[in-house]
Formats: sequence, structure tokens, C-alpha cells
Amino acid sequence: MRRVRVLIAKEWEELRKIKMVIYGALFLPLLMGGLAGFMVWQGQGLPPEAQAALFNTALMYFLILPVMIPVTLAVYSIVGEKEQGTLEPLLATPLTDWEIFAGKALVAVLPSLVLTWGVFLLFLIAAHVILGGIPAGVLSVPWLLSIFVLSPLLAVFGVLVSMLVSSRTSDPRAAYQFSGLAVVPSLIPLIAYSIQMTAVNLLLVILEGGILVVLNGALLYLVVKLFRREEILTRWK
Amino acid sequence: MIRTEALTRRFGDRLAVDGLTLEVREGEILGLLGPNGAGKTTTVRMLACLLAPTSGRAWVGGHEVGREASAIRSTVGILTESPGFYKRLSLERNLRYFADLYGVSSPRAAARRYLERLGLWDRRTDAVATLSKGLRQRLALARALVHEPKVLFLDEPTAGLDPESARDVRRFIGELTSERRTVLLCTHNLPEAEELCDRIAVLRTRLIALDRPAALKERMSGGRVLVELGNPRPEFATGLHLPFVQRASLEGNTLTVEGANPDRDNPTLVRRLVEMGAEIRSVTRDERTLEDVYLSLMGRDDAAG
Repeated sequence: MRRVRVLIAKEWEELRKIKMVIYGALFLPLLMGGLAGFMVWQGQGLPPEAQAALFNTALMYFLILPVMIPVTLAVYSIVGEKEQGTLEPLLATPLTDWEIFAGKALVAVLPSLVLTWGVFLLFLIAAHVILGGIPAGVLSVPWLLSIFVLSPLLAVFGVLVSMLVSSRTSDPRAAYQFSGLAVVPSLIPLIAYSIQMTAVNLLLVILEGGILVVLNGALLYLVVKLFRREEILTRWK
Repeated sequence: MIRTEALTRRFGDRLAVDGLTLEVREGEILGLLGPNGAGKTTTVRMLACLLAPTSGRAWVGGHEVGREASAIRSTVGILTESPGFYKRLSLERNLRYFADLYGVSSPRAAARRYLERLGLWDRRTDAVATLSKGLRQRLALARALVHEPKVLFLDEPTAGLDPESARDVRRFIGELTSERRTVLLCTHNLPEAEELCDRIAVLRTRLIALDRPAALKERMSGGRVLVELGNPRPEFATGLHLPFVQRASLEGNTLTVEGANPDRDNPTLVRRLVEMGAEIRSVTRDERTLEDVYLSLMGRDDAAG
């Protein structure tokens, strides 16, 4: 774990120096949080059921956020090292494949969760102020599970897809293109809710959570299995 | 310190390294010479456990390649052909990071030691992006050494550097021998190999020659003596009649005598020429450069291949 901590500390220090990454990482949560807040603001004076429906739609922003924030960081994780010429010296250290992936994944997942939850908290405060309280049934078990269980699972999914792409693609542009796939699972409930197939419910949350656990397990296995130091060193030019 | 036995690496149908067998002693600098694609970098990568051999075995610092990768990675330092850095981070932070990954007990002190040794301490807080190529190469050397490895792999350490930077890097590599570090130096630069290396391995997929630079040159010179004459006459070449002379030829004022062992035969040769009436201005051993040797070895290999 010591080497993973070392890797994470360096990555964050490096990211802090890239102003565009900071602005980009802050812009998206603020935009999504703002949109969610606007949605709730429109609910002023509406009946509680209508307000709850608006809250449900707003929740989707907080499911997309944890996937979108880390993708940019994760997709650059391996391909970026290669691009800078630091991959070979890094692979020459005693770092294991698992340590490299754990470090790179946590670097992307942790800030996205902190930002998502932070903006969610701001959203709740704003909603409380705008509506004079949170509508009944909104902070229900499915809601809280969505925010505190689905969000991390989605973030991990997004990061693993991006890292898989990053370690198999030699070109950052191609990596960015493919990593767009990572956002798909977070859109499933959004689509379901928006076409009013269903509301936020426990079954859907558990179902998606279960699928994500299985997918993440499979992806993690694939990411480590398909990470071939030799190929990365010899085929990427 | 380094030993390989029939080390071989294929990339698909292409043979990159073919049955390489060699040994590098502790504290020795062994130069790997060869044209592009000769297998130098592949050899280094196999020894640094970055690539697995297709067949054959190798040991670095007593650890077997492929079986004890982690132990080998801790034992070796590597300067890659195009060393990259985290350009936004400072020189010191880059070094501390690698020192930390290698488990150095005091990364800050280790970084400082090598930044000072390589004359980079004053620039320690600058971002690597601001460094010239020469300074980056010095930093790459510092990174390769920051965990005090016993074995160093240096892949083209002076490639693309201006003469002054290249000289600084060479001087530093020369200093490493006093620390009993074993160095495998891949280079195209023949004078550099001659200056730094205890022995030279000429590689073109397979090992073509392995010896001390002086021995390689001697082997190729085969005993040629150049005699500069004040009164050149054809009979000085045709009428020598000495048992050790295989061939003699006169070109301008210079008489070239092949087959002589200069240390043993020069007095006899000089005496005979004086008897023949030659006015001798100088007698020199025809020293081949390492470049001559290298090109000759490559030529022979072409002919054989």
C-alpha cells in the first residue's frame, strides 16, 4: 500500500499543476449541480408529488457526475505515462501491475466522489432554502443508495473502462473516444426515469448495483489481465 | 554480476537477440555496440525484467531474470533511450517520487545527494519542462542512481547531446567505476565506448565480438608498421626479405609493413632498412581506431550472413 500512496500523492500533485484539469473537474459538478438546483427552483409552489418527481430527475445528474469526472483522469493514466516517456522508468521500478492500477484508479475515483457528494450536499442545502424543506420521500433508501452506493460503483466502472482503454490504446485521442462508453450505465436509469417507465425505486437501484458489481469485477480482472508491460513497451510508438 | 546463457528474444518471426551468452563482472563497464536494431535495447529490457526472454536464461546480481523480477528491479537502475519525466513537477519531486517507489529510506536526502552530484541542485525547484536536453539527461542519470543500484543499464546516455553535455555525462559515468557499480552501456558512439568501457561486446542480433577495446584493435591491426622515409625507393618495399614480413608496400614517403610484431620486430626492420640505405624519419605502429574495428566486424558479418 505504501507504493500506492506514493503514486497517488504524485499524481495529485501533478494534476494540481494542470489548471485546465482543475477547472474542468470543478466546472462539470458546478454545472450539473446548478442544473439540478434550477430544476428544483422550478418546483416552487408545485404540489409535493411534482416536486418529488423533479428531485428524481435531478438525482440523475448526480449519477452521471461520478462517471464523467474521473474518465478524463483515468483515460490519461497509462497512455499519458507513455506519451511523457515515463512509462518505462515506472515499469522498471518494483511496482506491481496491481499497485499501478490501484493507484491510478484511486487517483481518479476519490476526487470524483468527493466532488459529487460535495455538490450533492450543496444541492440539498439549496433545495432546502428554495423549497423551505426537502419533499417527503426524496431522501429515501433508494435515493441514498443511489448516491452513496451506485455513485461509487459507477465511478469505479467509468475508471475501469477508461483504464482498460488507456492500457490498450496507444493514442490519447482514440482513448478518449472509446472511454465515452463508460457513461452508458449511468444513462440507463436516466432513460428509464425520463420516459417515465419508473420512478427511483429500490428494485432498480439494487438491480443496477448488482450488475455494476459483476461488471466491475469482470472489468478489474480484464484490466489486470490485459495489461501487458511488454506490448505497451514494444508496440506503442 | 550479470550473466546470460543463450539469451534469445523473438518478436513474431523477427529474431531480436539470438543466443547471447556473456558475463559482466562486478564494477565493470561493458559497452554494447551495434547498429540500430542489433538487439541492444532488447537485451537491456530483458535484463531489467521489462521483457521476457523467448529462451535462454540470465542472472542479474544473483537473481534470475523472469523468476525474481521484483528483486532485480530493486537492484538495477535504468536510463532509457528517451528518458521522460513528469514535466510539470520539479526536478527534486521527480527524483523523490522514484526514490520513494524504490523504497529508499530517505528519499529527500537521496534526491539531494544526486542533484548535487550532477550539478542540478540550484535548479531543484524548477519544473523539468524548463530543462535543456543536456540537463534532462543528467537528471535521468540521477534517477537511475537515486536508489543506489548495484547494476546500471545506460541506453544511449549521450545521444543527441551537445559535446559539452556529452562530456559531462561521460565524466560522470567514468566516476561510477570507483563505486564498484556494474554498468551495461549501449552506445553508437565508438570513441565513447573506447573511453569508458572495460570491455566491448559487438552485437548484431548475436554476439559478434567481445573483448577489451585495445585487444579488439590489436586483433584487427594484425601488426602493421608505418615507416616514413626521407628517400623513398621501390626496393625498400620489394627487397626487405625478412621472415616476419608478409607484405610491404610503398605509397609516397610511407612504407607500410604488414605482419610485423612491432614490439619484437621493429629493431630488425629498422636495421635492415638502414642497411639498404633508407633514411628513416619515423617508425609508428598502425593503430586502428575502434571505428575501423567495428566497421570491419560488421563487414565480415555481412559477408558471413
